[in-house]
Amino acid sequence: MPEIYLSLLDRILTPVLLMLAVVFLLAGHNAPGGGFIAGLVVATAFLMQILARGDQFVRRLIGTYLQPAMGVGLLIAVFSALLGIGHYGVFFQGIWWKISLGDFVLELGSPTTFDIGVFMVVSAFVTSYLLELSRPAERANK
Amino acid sequence: MNINANWLAAPVVIPLLFAASSLLMATRVNLRQMRIQRNLALIASVLNLGVALLLLYTTVIQDQRMVLHAGLWQAPFGITLVADGLSAIMLTLTAVLMVTIVLYAIGTLDQREGLNFHPLLLFLLMGVNGAFLAGDLFNLYVFFEVLLMASFVLLSLGGRPGQVNGGMRYVVLNLLASTVFLTTAGVVYGTLGTLNLAHLAVRMEAAPLTLRIIVAGMLLIAYGSKAGLFPLFFWLPASYHTPHPAVTAIFGGLLTKVGIYALFRIFPLIFPDLLRDWQPLLLGIAALTMLAGVFGAMAVNTIRRVLSFHIISQVGYMVMGLGLAASGNQLAIGFGLAAGIFYIMHHMIVKTALLMAGGAAELTMGTGQLKEGYLGGLVKRFPLLAAIFFLAAFSLAGIPPSSGFVSKLGLLQAALDSQQWMIAAVSLLVSLLTLMSMVRLWQKGFAGKQYKAVLPTPRRPIYGITIAPIMILVVISLGMGIFSDTFIKWSQVAADQVIDRAGYIQAVAPSDLIEPVSLDH
Repeated sequence: MPEIYLSLLDRILTPVLLMLAVVFLLAGHNAPGGGFIAGLVVATAFLMQILARGDQFVRRLIGTYLQPAMGVGLLIAVFSALLGIGHYGVFFQGIWWKISLGDFVLELGSPTTFDIGVFMVVSAFVTSYLLELSRPAERANK
Repeated sequence: MNINANWLAAPVVIPLLFAASSLLMATRVNLRQMRIQRNLALIASVLNLGVALLLLYTTVIQDQRMVLHAGLWQAPFGITLVADGLSAIMLTLTAVLMVTIVLYAIGTLDQREGLNFHPLLLFLLMGVNGAFLAGDLFNLYVFFEVLLMASFVLLSLGGRPGQVNGGMRYVVLNLLASTVFLTTAGVVYGTLGTLNLAHLAVRMEAAPLTLRIIVAGMLLIAYGSKAGLFPLFFWLPASYHTPHPAVTAIFGGLLTKVGIYALFRIFPLIFPDLLRDWQPLLLGIAALTMLAGVFGAMAVNTIRRVLSFHIISQVGYMVMGLGLAASGNQLAIGFGLAAGIFYIMHHMIVKTALLMAGGAAELTMGTGQLKEGYLGGLVKRFPLLAAIFFLAAFSLAGIPPSSGFVSKLGLLQAALDSQQWMIAAVSLLVSLLTLMSMVRLWQKGFAGKQYKAVLPTPRRPIYGITIAPIMILVVISLGMGIFSDTFIKWSQVAADQVIDRAGYIQAVAPSDLIEPVSLDH
């Protein structure tokens, strides 16, 4: 049976962790952060859910999407690496687009999309790993 | 013809792309989705073969090196991919094996074992290809890890008892070797300030002898245990007979050879002087590996165990080629290395064919036991399979005109030329013992009378699609024996490129811009 304080903590911490993950994801390359770390933070959020509500709950929620998410993440990462080849460039060369919203100019580059791909792979992989780890523990408790 | 350097990324990108696409299939056992995964793997392996042949043409026939600095980051900072003749030959062999193994898996895998087999195979291909192309020590490590991760899962695919046992030994020893490798990379980076192979080749010359000995020794331990060299080979026969035969076949053909490739790459490039000074050590390891493998093969009693021990004894021959690389009297320097490369070519093809044929027999009979009362009379039951096994076995034992004969002759020539009588005698003896062991395998398993074998698992018929890839490999092996002068010429080009350190440094990193860390502390 999940502990009561854990489920309370989970309501506070999960949104914080998810927002932190977005910050880390976008901060990478200019400041500490990046897709790998953001993926780990998201997996921590799911770990909170597993501890608070049990692995069955999380598995019903996202279980079937984990493997496809790894696939999509890998594809995004590979394609953003391949983007560099266009215009007589080199594999993995960074391509930057500028999106101007009035005064505010947003820079989006293929390193960022690569990071998003890495983020998806890491978060999905680590979460599925944690789900597998939590399976026998539950059986032992019964 | 000058091809774009971006093609160097293709052997890594193609498997990754197709593996990622087949991960989009759901995780449940589903025949239709498995078929899609299989077709994706087939397309990927054929495309990969095409790219590998393109690289082979550029590097070996045109005698060039290809370098790709990913993202235009120059050598010490970015990821450098380098292809020369040796890399291209290994890539091509891997690609050939991968196509045949996908065909073989069509005939032999059942549903439960087929789940995610193909994406894992593609991840394995990506790791192996990447290791052959890596231009620095750290990426070599990364790609080793990629292929290890995929191979851990492949080993335990199907979940039979005994697989976990074999898998554990594989995991523990390989992780230990990886740790040694990573520690060495740390030592190198901390003292010399770079991990790029071309820079290391320059800076290692100025480094103190103790550092060179420590780094070379630790790398020898790390790669040696991955390659299955004496005395660190015991994980190989303990784990290779447990997984599905298709997995054993691709592991036996590929994995140990990645370790051998790393030795062939690192020693002539970075430690040319140690290659000369350590010749007795390398030849000693080679001789002991050969003997340990072939004696082990005589003591065990299932088809795949016998063949696994033969992998070890043959890896010894390849290291013998490396040991003879630095010396030469009448023959050119590097003839030993060329003979070693030719031996790798022969071995990868023939060993996979043998493991495939033995595995098919094992699957259909339900047992691989060679003891009295189990296997027997396969000649009458499956004459075609037996004929193919016969040809492959005699190529392995080195009977002319097979590729095995030519490759062993080359090594023997190199040994006699450098007046290494001991290793020449050992290689002849081991060759004879291999022949004996193959004859024993033939008599117990294929000839003789048929037993009503005890069948623990339901038998599986042998389809044409199971035989076809083995036949392809045997034909390639015979072709390598008959047209051996072409293949020897190619391995000579590859060996010359490996020995030619100045050319490698010039191609990858002509200027060494960063200041080396001082070695006084």
